[in-house]
This record gives sequence, C-alpha cells and structure tokens, in this order.
Amino acid sequence: MGVLENRFQDNVVVASMDKLLGWARSTSPWFFQFGLACCAIEMMATAASRYDLMRIGMIPRSSPRQADVMIVAGTVTMKMSLRVKKLYEQMADPKYVIAMGSCATSGGPYWQHGYHVLKGVDLVVPVDVYIPGCPPRPEALIEGLLKLQEKIQADRPLTKKIA
Amino acid sequence: MSEDQDKFIADVVEKALQGDMDAINNIEDRVTRSKAKAALVKAKREAKAAATEDTSKSEESKTEESAPVEKSLSEKVAACLNEKFPNSLESEDVNGHIQMKDKNWFEIAQYLRDNLDFLFDSLQCVTGYDFGENEDLEVRYNLHSMTHNHAIEIRIKTDRNNPKVPSVEQVWRIGDWFERETYDMYGIEFEGHSNMTRILCPEDWAGWPLRKDYETQESYHGIVVPKVKDGWE
Amino acid sequence: MGVVHGDLMTLNIGPQHPSTHGVLRLKVKTDGEIISEVEPIIGYLHRCFEKHCENVSYEQVIPYTDRCDYIAAMNNNFGYAVTVEELMEIKVPERVEYIRVIVAELNRIASHLLALGAYGLDVGAFTPFLYMFRDRERILDLFETLCGARLLYNYIWVGGVSHDLPPGFIDAVYSFLDYFEPKIEEYNELLTYNKIFIERTGDVGVMPPEVAVSYGVTGPNLRGSGVKWDIRKDEPYSIYDKFDFNIPVGAGKMGTVGDCWDRYFVRMVEMKESVKITRQALKGIPAGDVHQTLPKKIRPPQGSIYKRTESPRGDLAYYIVSDGSPIPYRLKMRSPAFTALSVLGEISQGWMMSDVLVILGSLDIVLGEIDR
Repeated sequence: MGVLENRFQDNVVVASMDKLLGWARSTSPWFFQFGLACCAIEMMATAASRYDLMRIGMIPRSSPRQADVMIVAGTVTMKMSLRVKKLYEQMADPKYVIAMGSCATSGGPYWQHGYHVLKGVDLVVPVDVYIPGCPPRPEALIEGLLKLQEKIQADRPLTKKIA
Repeated sequence: MSEDQDKFIADVVEKALQGDMDAINNIEDRVTRSKAKAALVKAKREAKAAATEDTSKSEESKTEESAPVEKSLSEKVAACLNEKFPNSLESEDVNGHIQMKDKNWFEIAQYLRDNLDFLFDSLQCVTGYDFGENEDLEVRYNLHSMTHNHAIEIRIKTDRNNPKVPSVEQVWRIGDWFERETYDMYGIEFEGHSNMTRILCPEDWAGWPLRKDYETQESYHGIVVPKVKDGWE
Repeated sequence: MGVVHGDLMTLNIGPQHPSTHGVLRLKVKTDGEIISEVEPIIGYLHRCFEKHCENVSYEQVIPYTDRCDYIAAMNNNFGYAVTVEELMEIKVPERVEYIRVIVAELNRIASHLLALGAYGLDVGAFTPFLYMFRDRERILDLFETLCGARLLYNYIWVGGVSHDLPPGFIDAVYSFLDYFEPKIEEYNELLTYNKIFIERTGDVGVMPPEVAVSYGVTGPNLRGSGVKWDIRKDEPYSIYDKFDFNIPVGAGKMGTVGDCWDRYFVRMVEMKESVKITRQALKGIPAGDVHQTLPKKIRPPQGSIYKRTESPRGDLAYYIVSDGSPIPYRLKMRSPAFTALSVLGEISQGWMMSDVLVILGSLDIVLGEIDR
C-alpha cells in the first residue's frame, strides 16, 4: 500500500494484516455438526456427494473445541436449550452461529401451540446468519454460508484491538 | 299454476332419477330449479330407505333361519372376563371397546396375554384421554395378538384429581415407556411402575400438557416459553 | 488369575454426538469396557405434535405429520390419510391409490438408503454413505418434479393427493428403477459382504423374537429376528393386496438370527422388493381425476379409530377420536421407533462400548418420531 505498491514483480502481494486474517479465517470455517431435526438431513445432504460442502472449505467436526461455526439445524426445545448454551460456551473464539431453518429462526411451524419449543435460538445464543426455509434447500444453506464468509471477511479483529 | 308446476317438477325428477340431470339444470327460473333439486334429494333418500328395508328384511329372514348371530371378539372377551373376574367390567355394553374398572387390571392383563384363545402378546398403544375440563381422565389400551391376528381395545376411567391405574409394565415390557409418556402428558400415576418419571418433558416441567385445561408456564430457567411476537395472527 | 472388578462407571453419550441419529442421550454404566446398563433418555425433540393436532383442522395436521418422521414423510402422510378416510368412509379413485403406493415405496427406498448409509458411517465406512446419498438425491429429484419439495412433501391429502403426476414422470421413474437395481449389487460388494463389517455386526446385539414382541418392536427390526410380520401382507390397506412381493426375514446367515447384520440385510432386500412393487404399480396405473373425492370440509362423524400402516421403520399407527367438529379431539401417533429404542437397554447388556453404537444404528431410529 502506498510506497510499496507496484515496486516488485507480480508474485509479491501486499495487504494489511486484517485482510490476510479475514481471508484465512473465512475460507475454511469448520462447522460443528449440530443437527437436531429435519434440517439436519438437508445439512447431511449438503455435505454429501451432490452439493459438496468441502469445496468451500467446510469440514464437519464433532467436538465444539475444534469448530468455528455452529450450524443450529432444527428445532431447539426447552430441554435442549440449556445444552445449546453450554456447547456454545465451550466453543473457542472466534465463533459464529448460523440459525438454519425456520424452527431455529423463530420457532417455525410450532410457534403457536408449542409449549416445549424455543421460539428462535437467538433467545439463548447470539446468531450471525439466519437461513429461512422448512427445510432450506442445500443451495440456500450454501448461500447462507457464503454470506457468513463475507461477514467474517469484513471483520477487523486487529483494528478493534488497537482502537 | 302450482299443479302444473308440481307435474313439471315430478317429470323432471323422474328423468333425473334415470340419470339425466340436464332437464333440471336447464330450468331457467331459480325458484323452480331449487324446488326440483330438493324434490330429487327427497326421492333419492326414499329410494335408498326402501332398498335398505328390503335387504334388511331379507337378511333378517335369512338369519332367523340359520344359526344365532356371531359375537364380535370384544363381546367374547367381555363375556369371558365377566366369568373369570366377576365385577371387573364397568359396563356390559360393548361397542368396539371394553370398559373396565381399574380393580384387578394387572391380573386381567396377564390372563389376556396367556390364555390360549386370546394370546394378546403385544400391547400396541396406550393413549391417555381427557373428557373435558373438570371431567374424568381415561386410559385406552390397544391390544393385538400376533398368533391369532385379532385386536381389541380396553378403556379404564379414572378420577381427575387423583388418577391412579395399575401398571402393566411386567406383563408387556413396552408398558414401561408408554405409561411414562401417559404420566408425562396427563398426570396419571401407574401403581407398581418401577420408574414413574417424566420421559418427554424435562424433569422440572410444571403441569400436564395434554390436559384440556393446561396453561403454558411463563418461563423455564429464565427462557421465555410462550410465543414471543404478539399480534402476528 | 482372577478377574478384577471395580465400581461401575457412569458415562454420558450426550445429546450432541455424531452418531446418535439425532438428539438422544444414552446413560451408560460400564464395568471397564463391558456394558452393564444402557438407559436412553429422550425428549430433546419434543415438539408438542399432539397438542398441535388438537388445535388445527384435519387438513392442517398433514404438514405436522411430515415432520414427525422426516425421513419417510410420504409414509406418514399415507398413514394419516388412510386413517381419516376410514373414519369418514371415503373411497378414493384407483389412480390415487396407485400414485400413493408408488410414492410410498420410493420413499421407502430413500429412507432405507439413508439408514444404511448412516449405519455404514457409524461402523466406520465413509464411502457407502456417499454412494447411497448419490442415489437418494435422484429419488428426491423425482419428488421435486412431483410436488415441489425435497424432504417434507404435504402430498398425500385426505381423499386424494395434492397434484397429479406431471408429464414424463412415469418414464423418469422407470429409468430410475433401471439405474438403481444394479446399484444394490454394488452396495452388497461395498458393505454387506465386507469382512470387517461382518465381524463388527454379525452376532452382535441379538434380539430374540419373544423379547421383540413383548417390547412391541415391529418392521425390519422384528423381521430380522425371524418373525414374518408385515402389515402390507397381514392386514393390507390401500391396494397392497394386489401386488406380488416377498417379505424378507432374518436367517442368521452371518451369525445368530436376530443380530445386527440380519436387520441390516432385511432392509437391503426390502429395497429390492420395493422396486418390484413400484414396477407393478407403474404398469397398472389407470387414468382418472385425482381431485375427485377431495372433501370440501373434513368433518368426520363422532367415533374413534385405530389404524396401522407399514412405514420403513415399522408399524405406524394413528388413534383418532373425533367429536364431529373439523378439529380432531384427540390424535395419538404410535411411532415404531419409540418401541425400537426401548429395547436397546435389553439387547446391549454384556457388549462392549463400541458395540452400543453399532446396535443403536441397526435399530434405525428417528428422534422426530420418538419425541413427536
């Protein structure tokens, strides 16, 4: 940038640390497979042969300590909500949450008479991306993940610390 | 005028009973058309009643000649239980199900499972039932036999304020989970059950959800329970 | 040398675990590696299905039944529609019956593919999972051309179906069946007769037939133990009595009768039989109007009914009590996976820790159906 621009040949790239970190983080978010209900089947289908999730860098991890993104796929019930909170706290920073499906977004088709259904997972954990649908198509899930990648890219971790 | 109209309607209904609906549909005057349609419905109903009367008369005459009417399975079982365990049936009437008292349900269940004529070796379903607010509760059992391939339904009523029914966990092993579920949803306690705890709702849930007068609790461990966004009807 | 025994250790295979097929918690008491007691704890997906059914009308219940057993949604709809139709004494046209059988059997194939693929994943084989999903996607494509949805269809309504077959559907199904039949041989080579798979599942988790009947286990789990019981043959509903198909039962080929391999193999052979049924149905499908007997308002007469149908997991039954209004008074769904899970504690005693998940996978449970 500035003084160093175009001084060297094409195989030297100059960028700020923030952008480099953003690029590294966003292109390989490992997701925490937290499939609860029907949306979990669509998540499995997205990770399987036809809509391959590994081509955008995502691998399923079963332990929260090894994951960056938690995809809450399915209905969260009251009995499960305490465990969701615990698992979220066990994930290491920086962590992101995707609410997949209408049940995780707002309670879904069970919002009116469901006494045991949590009306949206954002009542217990902070959510970054909401994906509507019942269940959302694998293409919709991939779009949500790409939007999350944009969000991670736009994150400025170092700037925040200094400022 | 009305006599002509009546004759006209009678003609048109005759044609319609043969299968030709165009005659009625082509009547221009709305009132006459609706009268014709009403007459057609009445004529069809009378024809059907006459037909069933004929068939039932012929059936009656047939059965009078032949052997007495065969009892259904529920009636046979009810008669047998009345003999072996007197005073355990709530009522003699059997319309597809057997209404029982909860007195010696455990022994009756063992008898139904082991008796060679019936051999009800599989408990298909246990349903709780609520008659309404301030009314009784009921437990309904659907039994089935794999060997004879027949099925019956047994119902046991119990009081709303202190619901207790003997447990059949030791007779059919699936009774364990079915009864826990009925306890969870209705609050009916099954005496003799080894582990009478909630199975679907959390242990510290308040209330019996499937009862008709159930009110959702306001919050659970600090999380809001009822629907959050009002005015979205 | 004597045997060393210590205290029992309580281990928790928590609601979040890659191989619990959903949110299931297993409380396991072990003596070293050997299991002494397994207690499944459910309720983490209790979505108040029965309470919803008491507050919405009969037609609106159908999407909720989809979401109970989300892997075999067509069969759930089918069971419900057949039950309400018997209560209301509606007779649907022939074309509707044939269409229902075709989609139900295709969904049976799709459900078994997922069950067997996930079972391979549990045991440690990743490749069959990808192969089976590839074929499952083709079935979901067919369903998408039919009713627009991939997983939860809301297709079989009371008194008919929601959409008629689109043009070209029958040819597409024929070409799928021709493509799929040789694939079953491929799966047999990959997984069924694989030595490691046989070592891990043969002779493990034996379920004797008396235990199975007492615990109310039905479907492929019961047939794996040698009991020949299938509702499509023994209490036929819809037009299943017109078709010619066999009922596979477990014979203890790779171990004892009723072990995990038997249950797996019964599902594999059932896929072949479903292909047979679908071919026969496609050949005999008549023309007609599928919306002919859709009632304008579903208001069944007062009464109660209990009707059983065969879903890929076993004997799915609905108990409906109607009080003459357009809203059910009481609707109870008797799910096959509920009874299948209850037998886990009994058949996994004495096996090792790693065998518990093998046995759980062979029972093919879906938590949505268990918790409703």
